Amino acid sequence: MTDAELVVRTRSGDPDAFGTLVSRYYHACWRFAYHMLGERADAEDVVQDAFLRAYLAIGRYDERDQFRGWLFRILTNQCHNTLTARSRRSRRFVQDESALESAPAPSSGFASGVDDAALVRALGQLDPLQREAILLKYAEGLEYGEMSAMTGAGESALKMRVKRGSERLRVLLGRSIDA
Amino acid sequence: MTPDHPFHADPHDASVDDPALVARVQASYAALPAPDAAQVARCTTAVLAAAMHAPSRRTGGTVRPQWWWGAAAAAVLVITVSAGVVRRSGIAGRVRGDLGTSAATAPGATAPGATAPVGTTTERGDGVRFDLTLPRSARAVALVGDFNGWDANATPMVRRPTDGAWSAQVPLSPGRHVYAFVIDGTRWLVDPLAPQVPDEGYGPANAVVVDLPR
Repeated sequence: MTDAELVVRTRSGDPDAFGTLVSRYYHACWRFAYHMLGERADAEDVVQDAFLRAYLAIGRYDERDQFRGWLFRILTNQCHNTLTARSRRSRRFVQDESALESAPAPSSGFASGVDDAALVRALGQLDPLQREAILLKYAEGLEYGEMSAMTGAGESALKMRVKRGSERLRVLLGRSIDA
Repeated sequence: MTPDHPFHADPHDASVDDPALVARVQASYAALPAPDAAQVARCTTAVLAAAMHAPSRRTGGTVRPQWWWGAAAAAVLVITVSAGVVRRSGIAGRVRGDLGTSAATAPGATAPGATAPVGTTTERGDGVRFDLTLPRSARAVALVGDFNGWDANATPMVRRPTDGAWSAQVPLSPGRHVYAFVIDGTRWLVDPLAPQVPDEGYGPANAVVVDLPR
């Protein structure tokens, strides 16, 4: 069943249809949120909240949009909200340079189920907009036009965020990238 | 970094993407294991339960969940009483109404200073105390449920003079119990934000679960 069909069924009051949408996109949302926030618990909360907001707003979903893109638009907003709230609480993301430097750099490939902690920490030190742009571009594989529609930022700005974020990320990750 | 490094090319050129960095980000993504079915189910259940209690204006008027969808959510939104400790999950527990079910907005169910009733359940010894604050005065409030045969005369609630809340304590055996309130002998009321269960012939109702003693 297509996303559009599931959306129609959800609108008509079929909770199973919405459950199918959650099953279909939970993993993608969770991976993005985890790399945006750097904390599993926060990521789970944000993903759940994003699905809740999507559910409540599904009457306003435009079928001409891709459901995944629409959902990610909500998710990225929720990630920003969480980061804002986190900064208000003066909660510091991992910024321990020595820990970052001492973190073992994966040489090639990664064992299944083991995330790249050094990368996640380095991402956490980027400006959130740069981090978002890098994840959308590199991990989600979106075109800049899609990213622009999703984030509301211009394509030039997004390209600059990717460029500068990548440069910063390379510095943070040091030789692990150059090796 | 040298001037001819890819990152010093035209920043608007997609070729600035660093293959090694792209590969590493993608590998980190791929390394995260897929969530198990239970995690996804918990998310779905929590969303449906929370949406069920969301103000209707937020639904865009198109897909307001029905109260009976609470059956799906009850598994995670029950109030449990276990080993002398009240354990609550999700948004259940101390419930605050800020929205209107038909029952909650019935005359006598809403009142000044609040938009909806506020209900709580608290473990007390071998029983559970039910408290209900009605912003508007009522002549009588009764607790009904499967534990008293849904008899509106069996468990009258007492109005505390200190805070005006209606209260009743009942001994409950381990297991799941379904309950509701009856206002002035005629109007049934459920906690808007408490776990709700399907209609078993008595109208909408809430649920409370008493765990087996450890």
